[in-house]
Amino acid sequence: MHGDAVRHDRVKYAFIWPAFIIVLVITIFPLIYALTVSFQSVRLVPPLPPRFVGFDNYVDILSSQRFWGSTWTTATIVFASVAFQYALGFLLALALHHNVRGSSLYRVVFLLPMFIAPVCVALIARMVFHPYLGPVNDAMVGLGFGNLPFLTEPALAIMVLISIETWQWTPFVTLLMLAGLQSMPSEVFEAARVDDIGPWRRFWDLTFPMLLPLSVAVIFIRLIEGFKVIDTVFVLTGGGPGTATETLTLFAYNEGFKKFNLGMTSALSFVFLIVVIVFGTIYLAAARRLMKRYA
Amino acid sequence: MENRSLRTIGLVGCLVWLFFSFFPLYWVFVTAFKPPLAVSQGATYIPFIDFQPTLQAFRDAFSGIRGDFFGPIVASISISVVATALSVFLGAMAAYSLVRFEFRIRLMSGLMFGVISIGGFVLLNGTFDIDVPYALLIVLVLALVVSIWMNKFALPGPVLGNNDVTFWFVSQRMFPPIVSAFALFLLYAEVGRAGFPLLDSYLGMVLAYTAFGLPFSVWLMRDFFSTVPVEVEEAAQVDNIGRMRIFIQIVLPMSLPGLLATSMIVLAFIWNEFLFALLLTSGDWQTLPILLAGQQSSRGDEWWAISVAALIAIIPMVVIAAILGRMMRSGLLSGSIK
Repeated sequence: MHGDAVRHDRVKYAFIWPAFIIVLVITIFPLIYALTVSFQSVRLVPPLPPRFVGFDNYVDILSSQRFWGSTWTTATIVFASVAFQYALGFLLALALHHNVRGSSLYRVVFLLPMFIAPVCVALIARMVFHPYLGPVNDAMVGLGFGNLPFLTEPALAIMVLISIETWQWTPFVTLLMLAGLQSMPSEVFEAARVDDIGPWRRFWDLTFPMLLPLSVAVIFIRLIEGFKVIDTVFVLTGGGPGTATETLTLFAYNEGFKKFNLGMTSALSFVFLIVVIVFGTIYLAAARRLMKRYA
Repeated sequence: MENRSLRTIGLVGCLVWLFFSFFPLYWVFVTAFKPPLAVSQGATYIPFIDFQPTLQAFRDAFSGIRGDFFGPIVASISISVVATALSVFLGAMAAYSLVRFEFRIRLMSGLMFGVISIGGFVLLNGTFDIDVPYALLIVLVLALVVSIWMNKFALPGPVLGNNDVTFWFVSQRMFPPIVSAFALFLLYAEVGRAGFPLLDSYLGMVLAYTAFGLPFSVWLMRDFFSTVPVEVEEAAQVDNIGRMRIFIQIVLPMSLPGLLATSMIVLAFIWNEFLFALLLTSGDWQTLPILLAGQQSSRGDEWWAISVAALIAIIPMVVIAAILGRMMRSGLLSGSIK
């Protein structure tokens, strides 16, 4: 399809360079500077001249309780909420695919949550989960649980965060899985129906394996995105009580902008980057093995 | 079709989820119309029955007695519209060249770029004491020139193709934003010290968000362009029309739905973005999400006022979701997701 004349067309560079330069200057180049800062002790308050400290920042991070605590918190929220998002999102997509009554209405309403700023979602959650004045409290009192301290008790606060993430991002899974369902060849399913294969086996033997690559991609995107979470936590609990709900990004932010310890935050963001890369590699390798077994 | 009970379960499940998705939105909507007493004396649910709706909260917000609302609204609109337009246009150009042309980049020259830029920066900044922005600028030009020059030679090692270039763009989105946001904050601060303020400036925010939106626009537009038939362009080429004109006058109009969908998605991401705005602004160019995050600490439980602020941020997104929902129904988006 690509002729020789096309391949050597110089104009292609004119097309790609503007985007390339912007990403390079705004995203990649600051990283170089931040990388050098991560090996220094830089404090804004009190302003001391930067001092080279080698791997001290990195050692400090890895030996800090707070870092491991926030890693654990982030992982709990992300894995639990992505599991719910995937299960619920897939089920909803199946229902929509089979055109349950009123599905055109659901499609728009189901999409809504993921377009709302996480900050807004957290503000709404603060109202809805208020321990005395919120509707969830009314429901809980009605069920006989009494006034639960949703946002000030660590386990409950984490559960609230998980449900918020699920609420907001299940639509994303639904959207993509629905697109996947609609692009599947219908002949296979016609044949299965003729052979009188029940819906349960049809799902596990046909639909699920065929959508496995898409599922792997969707879960991957959600996990990576989930690890970045800060805004919801920032507004909902501010990381509290104590540091019980502090996520990695929030921890990095607090180090840099409350303690003005810039070297530390730089180092922390690189540790975070390494965690994500290692984790992503493991996940993709595991997913490839799983797909091989099915294929 | 053949299984009635499954269909009933599906319907019930959808209705339950509909309630869950919709209730919080209903709540913020009605709360914006509540008088203070309807909030502070326990949850109230239905307007006109549980409480008398009032527009007082809206009047308070827009008369400005409760802090500046218009500043952040204007900032949010002007930054997100311009940044979206830039990133979709530049992203579409890059995506087009990734679909129609072939790129071959040697991994070795890419690595060289990294080595020269990091090593050069440490040398210039650390040893020769050149200011950070200038050192970075010198290193950028130097590393680019050297690696492009090296790419001409048959270096050992793998050769990267178009998919790798696309992945390079998309991978910007994969790493944690605190990494680039914080690095950008440091850089902007340094550039500001050299006499060119970028922190809390319009230009700084637009640049940051353009880069932020590019991964999406490159990725989505590449899929849209790959469905545009190449024959029309070939006919135009025979007539000796320049590539840039072909792109602007033929390709872009043909992929208008794709452009629209991509713009909507990028706009939603930029409109809702929090971390970059938190780090890079401090007053003049604060966006709506920052204003909202501050509401809760400055207002306490004045939920009617908070709800009004939240609604202002939500309503444009409702419009976008409705448009995208329609496009999804017409099957337009399903083509873009492989």
